[in-house]
Amino acid sequence: MKTYLRTISAMALALSASTLVASAADPITVVGWGGTWDKAYKDGVWDKYTEQTGTPIIQEEWAGEVAKVRAQVQAGNVTYDVVSVEAPAMEIGCAEGLFLPLTPDVTGDPQNYLPGTLHECGVASDTWATIMTYNTNVFKDGTGPKTWADFWDVEKFPGKRGLYSQAQFTLENALMADGVKGEDMYKVLSTPEGVDRAFAMLDKLKPNVVWWSTTTQGIQNLDSGEVVMSDAFNARITNEVVQEKKPYTIVWDAGFFYGTDFWAVVKGAPREKEGVDLLKWFSIPENQAGFSKLYAYGTGRKEAAALIPAEWAANLPTSDEHIKFATAYDNDFWTENKEALEERFKAWQAK
Amino acid sequence: MVLALLVLPVVLFVVLIFLWPVARFLALSVDNSDMSGNLPRTIVALSQDVPESGLPSEAVFVALVEDLAAAKRAGREGVLAQLVNQRLVGTRFLIIKTAKDAADGKLDMRPVRESLIDRHSGWSNPALWQELSRQKGAFTDYYLLNSVDLMRGEDNAIASVPPDRAVFLDVLLRTIWISAVVTVLCALLALPLAQAIVSAPPTWSRLMFALVLFPLWTSLLVRTVIWIIVLQRNGPVNATLMGLGIVGEPLNLVYTRFSLYVAMVQVLLPMMVLSIVAVMRRVPATYMRAALSLGASWLTAWRRVQLPLILPGILSGGAIVFVFSLGYYITPTLVGGPTDQMVSSYIAFYTNNTLNWGLGAALSLQLLLILLMFAFLFLTANAILKRRTAA
Repeated sequence: MKTYLRTISAMALALSASTLVASAADPITVVGWGGTWDKAYKDGVWDKYTEQTGTPIIQEEWAGEVAKVRAQVQAGNVTYDVVSVEAPAMEIGCAEGLFLPLTPDVTGDPQNYLPGTLHECGVASDTWATIMTYNTNVFKDGTGPKTWADFWDVEKFPGKRGLYSQAQFTLENALMADGVKGEDMYKVLSTPEGVDRAFAMLDKLKPNVVWWSTTTQGIQNLDSGEVVMSDAFNARITNEVVQEKKPYTIVWDAGFFYGTDFWAVVKGAPREKEGVDLLKWFSIPENQAGFSKLYAYGTGRKEAAALIPAEWAANLPTSDEHIKFATAYDNDFWTENKEALEERFKAWQAK
Repeated sequence: MVLALLVLPVVLFVVLIFLWPVARFLALSVDNSDMSGNLPRTIVALSQDVPESGLPSEAVFVALVEDLAAAKRAGREGVLAQLVNQRLVGTRFLIIKTAKDAADGKLDMRPVRESLIDRHSGWSNPALWQELSRQKGAFTDYYLLNSVDLMRGEDNAIASVPPDRAVFLDVLLRTIWISAVVTVLCALLALPLAQAIVSAPPTWSRLMFALVLFPLWTSLLVRTVIWIIVLQRNGPVNATLMGLGIVGEPLNLVYTRFSLYVAMVQVLLPMMVLSIVAVMRRVPATYMRAALSLGASWLTAWRRVQLPLILPGILSGGAIVFVFSLGYYITPTLVGGPTDQMVSSYIAFYTNNTLNWGLGAALSLQLLLILLMFAFLFLTANAILKRRTAA
């Protein structure tokens, strides 16, 4: 019994000592989207911050569930300091007071931000796009699909298609294939008939779809020839093409939708103040450009674009060449309708 | 006494780490406290209310504003907004913004009813009030009904959900069917294999036994993902079939029910083999020889002598495989298509994806009940079998 007690107290001592050491080092916990995205942030942005300020950054990965932040805030046990969230979650979290409002002396002059990349409670972490891509070994010399209607046309372009296994993105793509223009998209999708119309289009393509739910899976299906074309997040395809020399091309002019994720500081975070400092540092164009230089997603500050080599900048969804084919995801629409449409989509898939 | 102390850690561990959290989660399937607890005054006011022109009277609106202000101060309005939005799409921001205004004292002007509707017109929607008047107590049957494709319609009567949302009964039957097919396939494959292991000379027997065990020590994930590579369009199976000229173009093998069966049978087969071998080893080989020497054909001898004796092994193997199959999640997710997903995948979807924990819990409860039912069936069958052999 005595040795038992001694062991326990020794362990307790060691534990408290280690917490003391941890608070001396004081890293900031930054939560991103994982994988290559996190790596680009580490190599392009956070390592530079640690170098300049001595503050280490711990990266964690999540899927953007605002309920996780809510649970932490309510329990008074916040473990995340800074998180990247999608715009609808940003709206909810900010309205509920889960994220700290950011003042212009943190973010810099709002005028210097691209539209939709600055929020009351956050600054853009990345602007991503969902695009159409196809295998140029299958469709050689520009014979590939040029529009979303082509993507739906299995007679003219035989082979299976990859589609992201969720309602957001997929419903928009289906309606584009049915001839709905980007600017009319949410007028159509806001009506029950519009949603039915999107599902009717999906009915037509269903037998020829291979669904993917992680980017890696989507790319694996392209690599293995399981699908000949797919929708995808643009930066991952650019990575595959540039770094791995894979035979894929992005059909920007078919039309695409883009969205913005935001960095936000969680209210009551253990390193709340340091989190704000981090975002202040991040709001300097030179610092945030570090990410876009490595990953083909856009950033918020207008000046940051000029710091990216022109050749690489041409891969970004926000480049002058591409933005004219783009429509922004309607955050208000998806904030209200996300759960209902995702549940209906899941039920539709199962039939 | 000493024995009780020795067992205590295990019991505590099971209760604290397993039973208690599971029970807590299952309780979410009937829990309505996030709704009723955040709208206490509104619920009381609504129950005493005589609606005017489809909308509740002033007293209800006053109660609502008080409730929402309190919810905002407690930081609970987000949960409430999510729950209301689940039942009536398009109300999330209405709740969040009204709660903010209520807490800021912007909704104090009388009459509250008109000033609230003026500011947030969403409150003039009778459907919203109908939903709110259903939230009577701390418990709800909303999720349980939903998990069997039912809902409360007009006048609170139970009705079927619209066909485009009715999915769970299909999924439930599919889950049971897939598990049954996998169990039968495992039994058919395991019987000759087990017989071979038991009848072979010791060295061979040990080798075969090791080959059955090896996959058990390999990660489930690896064993599943391997099948994607083997069965994919440009994979070895298709290459072989094409090379031999059996098929003209690659078959769609992966992300189908076929690939799901293949992967699940491969993963679960060792369980069945182990159960059958364990029983078969106890059956003396002389029984079969005696039957053969008395003139029975091999098949008759096997069917009438060997099979009844090893039936308990098949039954317990079947129970293990079937019960494991019911809860399968990773394998269908990875190698199945959308029409091959089982209940677990929907539980994961509602828990992680749309954060509809009530429905996730209701589906879990459903799965647990099915599981208990089949466990009971297997136990009964086993008991009957024992009595028959004893007699």
